[in-house]
Amino acid sequence: MDVDVDGLTLTLGGRPVLDGVSLHAQPGEIYGLLGPNGAGKSTTLSVITGLRRAASGQVSVVGHDPAREALALHREIGVLPERSGFYDWMDAPDYLAWFAQLYGRRLTGPEITAELAQVGLDGRNRRAIGTYSQGMRQRLGLARALLHRPRLLILDEPTNGLDPRGRREVHNLLLERSRQDGVGILLCTHLLDDVERLCTRIGILHQGRTVFEGALSELATASNEGESYRLHLRTEPPAVPLPPGVELLAWQGEWARIKLDGTRPPEDVWRGLLAARWPIAEIHQEAGGLETLYLRMTQKEEGPA
Amino acid sequence: MNPILLIARKESRELLGSGRGLAWLLALSAVLSVLGLLFVSNTELSLLDNAQVVTMELGTITALGALLAVVLGSDAIAGERERATLIPLLLSPARRTDIVLGKMGNQLVGWLVMYLIGLPYLWAVGSSGQNLAQACAYLALFGTPLVLGFGFLAQGLSSRAAAVRSALVPSLLALILLGGPVMLGPSFRQSAIGSWLDRVNPFAAAINSFDSVVIDSQSLSAQLARLAIVLIWLAATAAFARSSATSMNV
Repeated sequence: MDVDVDGLTLTLGGRPVLDGVSLHAQPGEIYGLLGPNGAGKSTTLSVITGLRRAASGQVSVVGHDPAREALALHREIGVLPERSGFYDWMDAPDYLAWFAQLYGRRLTGPEITAELAQVGLDGRNRRAIGTYSQGMRQRLGLARALLHRPRLLILDEPTNGLDPRGRREVHNLLLERSRQDGVGILLCTHLLDDVERLCTRIGILHQGRTVFEGALSELATASNEGESYRLHLRTEPPAVPLPPGVELLAWQGEWARIKLDGTRPPEDVWRGLLAARWPIAEIHQEAGGLETLYLRMTQKEEGPA
Repeated sequence: MNPILLIARKESRELLGSGRGLAWLLALSAVLSVLGLLFVSNTELSLLDNAQVVTMELGTITALGALLAVVLGSDAIAGERERATLIPLLLSPARRTDIVLGKMGNQLVGWLVMYLIGLPYLWAVGSSGQNLAQACAYLALFGTPLVLGFGFLAQGLSSRAAAVRSALVPSLLALILLGGPVMLGPSFRQSAIGSWLDRVNPFAAAINSFDSVVIDSQSLSAQLARLAIVLIWLAATAAFARSSATSMNV
């Protein structure tokens, strides 16, 4: 397993920041790490990369314990931190050449140009990095992370600051690395579009705990919502019990939100409701996209306000 | 190439090639120029004995070197942390002690440049007098460990500080506390406290050695106790920097 994390806990300044984080990413897999701000994603990444030590729990990353074998681990992972600074007085080719030497690689001019070209930067451009836009800096950070041919890429918000075309290019690059070279990718992002396009499995953190881990397709089941619908009613419905398999979730003006438990086909349920004199004008199935499921999952963990 | 050398080379390029580093060196040269001018043109200072002038010049170069070391050391880690360049460095295969030693390589280059800048000024004020060669040798012998000690101290504090300012203020305070008593008059230095401070203070040990060698023409064997104080200072601050490096936070 590329990333094998169980029961991670960490307290910072007397406040529990991680309180039972578990992640399991297979080799070559693109794994999405999601969660609202302050959920503990970046702290989890700092433990996984060996920058912090957890108070308890087990961590193994590409077969290494980050707390004890940080140097060996750093040779096998490429990391793009959320806030990634550069030596602004250097130009991009110099910067990459210098970092490559830290990893024991001596790059030739054409190799540097190729490294930069794969992230959409021009290797002939000798402008100081200080003059780069946010998107160019993000691309350079990605080139730095890929430089030593890592087995696992750990990317924190890699498409931050990129325009739609740039995002698509980065998506394609990551997919290519994963499919062709078998590079595992742990992707931490707020952009659910990135997740839907790239990730095979995800983990959702909330308040320092893993609240879901699995394939995207399993999220709907795990969110325990079943199929939900919104019914537009012309008038108040009669005060009769609902048919079996139907749960009334909420009233929103003339709209009723209901959930079907899946034991009966929806058509049977509608017939039953109409027979019970429910004045149904319209029926809409609620969107079950990742965003909705993600929001439900994190709201469910928060509980009622 | 060894990570220590790689980091030292990169840091030195930044020191000598960036506007910030050059501005520092220019400022230090300006201070030495003004001082040299005062020795020649000021009525009272121009009456000083040639050896005394050389000793004062040695003290000034050492103090300026220590100041440069404090500034570079304070910025070394905390500055990288502020500019978000520390994490990529910590995630590279360089050990934390490699980073500290690489940064110290830069401080050594800074001191070397400071030393080279100081030599023509020493020659200008001392070429007609005695012991100029000894002055240059003792500046290297005592000045180097003293200055690097201040660099290690500042860098150790920098490893633990969240911001450059948090490392710079206590480092400057240490420089003033150790360098200040040397500037006080003979009556204080001859008192019980002053005499004790002179014996244990590495800054005083270096300055007193300059005085003994250049003015009184004493031998190296007479300076060994003072050299030991300066070397203990270097070892203690290096140990502090090393222990701070292992607990370097992000």
